[in-house]
Amino acid sequence: MNMQQSLNSNNNQESFLDHIAAKLGRGRIHHVERPKLFLPGRKDAPATEELVGILKEQCFFIHTQVIESSPVILQQTLDDLLAANGGGAVLVSADPRFAQYGLKFADPLLWEAAAGRDENIRRAAAAGTAVVFADYALAESGTIVVESRPDQGRAFHFLAEHYIAVIERSRIVPRSTQAAADLNRRVMTGEPIGSCINLISGPSNSADIEMQLVVGVHGPLRATYVLI
Amino acid sequence: MSLQTDNRKFSERTAEGIDNPFMRSAVSSAQDSLKTRRLTAATALGEWEEWRKAGQQIRQHTLKHLDYYLQELAANIERRGGHIYFARTKEEASAYIGRIVEQKSAKRIVKSKSMVTEEIELNHVLLAMGCEVTETDLGEYILQVDDWEAPSHIVAPALHKDRKQIRRVFAERLGYQGDETPENLARFAREVLRQKFLEADIGITGCNFAVANLGAINLVTNEGNGDLTAAIPKTHIAVMGMERIVPSLEEMEVLDNLLCRSAVGQKLTSYITVMGPSAPGEADGPEEFHLVVVDNGRSDILGSEFNEALQCIRCGACLNVCPVYRHIGGHSYGSIYPGPIGAVITPLLGGYDNYKELPYASSLCAACTDVCPVKIPLHEQLIRHRQKIVEQGRTGTADRLQMKAASRVLSSPSLFGKVLRLANPGSRMVSSRGRIVRGPGIVKGWINARDLPQPVRQQDSFRSWMENRKGGAGK
Amino acid sequence: MKVSIFSTCLVDLMFPNVGKAMVEVLERLGCDIDFPASQVCCGQPTYNSGYLEDSKLAMKNMMLAFEHSDYVVGPSGSCIAMFHEYPEVFQGDPQWELKAISLKNKSYELTQFIVHVLGVTDVGAHLEGVATYHRSCHMTRLLGEKETPFQLLEQVEGLRLEPLKNSDNCCGFGGTFSVKMPEISAQMVDEKCACVAETGADILISADMGCLMNIGGRLSRNGRSIRVMHIAEVLNCVPAAAQGGRSL
Repeated sequence: MNMQQSLNSNNNQESFLDHIAAKLGRGRIHHVERPKLFLPGRKDAPATEELVGILKEQCFFIHTQVIESSPVILQQTLDDLLAANGGGAVLVSADPRFAQYGLKFADPLLWEAAAGRDENIRRAAAAGTAVVFADYALAESGTIVVESRPDQGRAFHFLAEHYIAVIERSRIVPRSTQAAADLNRRVMTGEPIGSCINLISGPSNSADIEMQLVVGVHGPLRATYVLI
Repeated sequence: MSLQTDNRKFSERTAEGIDNPFMRSAVSSAQDSLKTRRLTAATALGEWEEWRKAGQQIRQHTLKHLDYYLQELAANIERRGGHIYFARTKEEASAYIGRIVEQKSAKRIVKSKSMVTEEIELNHVLLAMGCEVTETDLGEYILQVDDWEAPSHIVAPALHKDRKQIRRVFAERLGYQGDETPENLARFAREVLRQKFLEADIGITGCNFAVANLGAINLVTNEGNGDLTAAIPKTHIAVMGMERIVPSLEEMEVLDNLLCRSAVGQKLTSYITVMGPSAPGEADGPEEFHLVVVDNGRSDILGSEFNEALQCIRCGACLNVCPVYRHIGGHSYGSIYPGPIGAVITPLLGGYDNYKELPYASSLCAACTDVCPVKIPLHEQLIRHRQKIVEQGRTGTADRLQMKAASRVLSSPSLFGKVLRLANPGSRMVSSRGRIVRGPGIVKGWINARDLPQPVRQQDSFRSWMENRKGGAGK
Repeated sequence: MKVSIFSTCLVDLMFPNVGKAMVEVLERLGCDIDFPASQVCCGQPTYNSGYLEDSKLAMKNMMLAFEHSDYVVGPSGSCIAMFHEYPEVFQGDPQWELKAISLKNKSYELTQFIVHVLGVTDVGAHLEGVATYHRSCHMTRLLGEKETPFQLLEQVEGLRLEPLKNSDNCCGFGGTFSVKMPEISAQMVDEKCACVAETGADILISADMGCLMNIGGRLSRNGRSIRVMHIAEVLNCVPAAAQGGRSL
């Protein structure tokens, strides 16, 4: 039996949705204007240095180390971090910024579409550290935003014990509002957008045992942001 | 697990809860810390009331146009190469998932925490098919290892267990040899579960919100288990209650902010992910993505007087402030949805036959209504349930007669006057030293725990004093 | 200022001193008091139990009793909050909706009335002691009045207020809740009593007699000698010289 035929038993979609409309006391509707959101909060655009201050303060609360670096010394900063974490393999992607900043690692593991699922996941799990470049950074919540691409898969961010995100200062926005607005603008205008969008705020953690915070559960045990 | 977690009588369940000192101290200390954290996070955001209103508006708008947004979601999921299935009942939902498992010949399944999969009894179906099912949320995993014990909180399922119990269960069932520190217990679970992720054939997750215009689902976690569940296996099945949908990323952002702050007092949790079918050329993520949209009784709530209950975003804030939950714990509710929101939705999903006590498990203190980030009038909905229960004649003759009599007396000055005249002499027969010591039903419940003063003599009542004052011209 | 007293059925039946204190305090502040004798109960016990139609009888009686009043003032945040709910209950009822709105607009809980309407925070009261204040859930959350009791108590000479831990938690009264779910209610009141005891206060004050009857009943059962006072009684503690100085 053909998989698609048997599973796409979606002839129930229409009756399901008709039923909902009936419960709402009307027929089906085919156009809805999304109401404009009026959100509270600051309307000004704070200067980058203020945002950096907010980000750094928040990172203290989310157990994330922040290091101020610069394009010139980025390699050195990363090398120092890797050494401090006991070395090991580094998971990298084909993000053009690795080349732009001239980054090279002694023991790199590359996530590349051509290697296929199993091999990429093996590499990601074998790496001690994963290094990414943030697409956006959200000051208020200490969050970096990354999108999946053929050269940087979804599991990329979750298997290494140490997660390093390089944040270009120009990519820091005040909070999630701005990132969501920009991402949605891209959705609406049909610009390409990652099949998976991750908002990552520090290392993985859990308070499932007696409400006591444990940093490092399934994902990375440590997170470091490097500002350039 | 199904909606119903315990089929004993409500009074038996609560008696057991009240009698469990460890659970109670765990719950009250969790409540105290979560309450403070929520308040701090809400205050830090500023203009919290405005944010709540925005959250309420988003939820109400989406519910009002639910068929439209679900259709948009379906079109976008399919455009991206995913599958969407609409299940009217829990049986339809779990049977569909069962068919996928069968066709994939899947043996090993990893799951990330999802209340709706509990509701559709998915684990039961999968285990019966001979699958190995692993819950990967740390709290859920602990419960699974302990013979699939029921969760007691919608955000922190193992809230009722202490580290000693967890260490013992890990030692007995998994050969754990470490100590009872949460770090070591969690590290041990990490090692065990890492292997499960890598070997899994299918990953099953819930869905905090589906994003209609993107054709994607949003998962909010701290552990990262949801992401691993969705990224590594070749097949990802997401299951959502049909109401958990937003128009776009902008509304999702507002609700995620409300959710994280209300649930755990964080600005954003560690991992907030928007995911759908993999794009061509991507190495990981699901080759096959299925979204199962579950009704299972929700459409009967839609458009009804309980419509607002569907605004719920499952943050658990109402549990964390509820003084009743505090003392009886989550298991007393006998439902996977405990606390105030559980007392509202469980009878709607599971019927009054099994759950008619739940709406009464509240002092109507309205602490729940006050914290709800999407402004569900929870305590009013509990009163509405009570009205329904009365309308349907389910309250019992004694209760009905008492209430009818009370309403007569409390609406009639002359009858109330008679009560005032008779209350004190009448109460003398059951009193000792100015306190009532015995009495029928309702009085007994009171005096079991508390002293009850005698009513005053009519001539000493406030009413008489006022009358006399008016009469006494000098005053 | 003409003020109609809404005594509440609990005060009527059990706690006349609270009603008397309220009247004396208001008179001292220059109010002209009356007591519409046909009043009974706000209807909350039956309303909260789900007996909507039956509770409307009590509500209608109250709307009629206070129909000609300028202000209605009661010693209970909970009962006044019930009045404020009437317009919801009678929404769309051509005969009663306007009466319901009218009653809502002129009803005040005692401390609210003193602070917001009379504009007074110092009523000249004097009470030596250490007290703690229990906020009733209905007054703070349903009526939305959090501050007025404290504004008044802070001005009471000789009184020291100790904060009450977990003051947001319900005491377990909840009207019929305390008799329908007595075991759970008992746990709640026990914790409340423990928090009260922890303050070291010798007086427990509240603006709702239901809560006080509950907490006080448990304290007394446990043999604790903490004095339980309604805020009206506290505000009515005035030096002898000032008494009877009823200004008109």
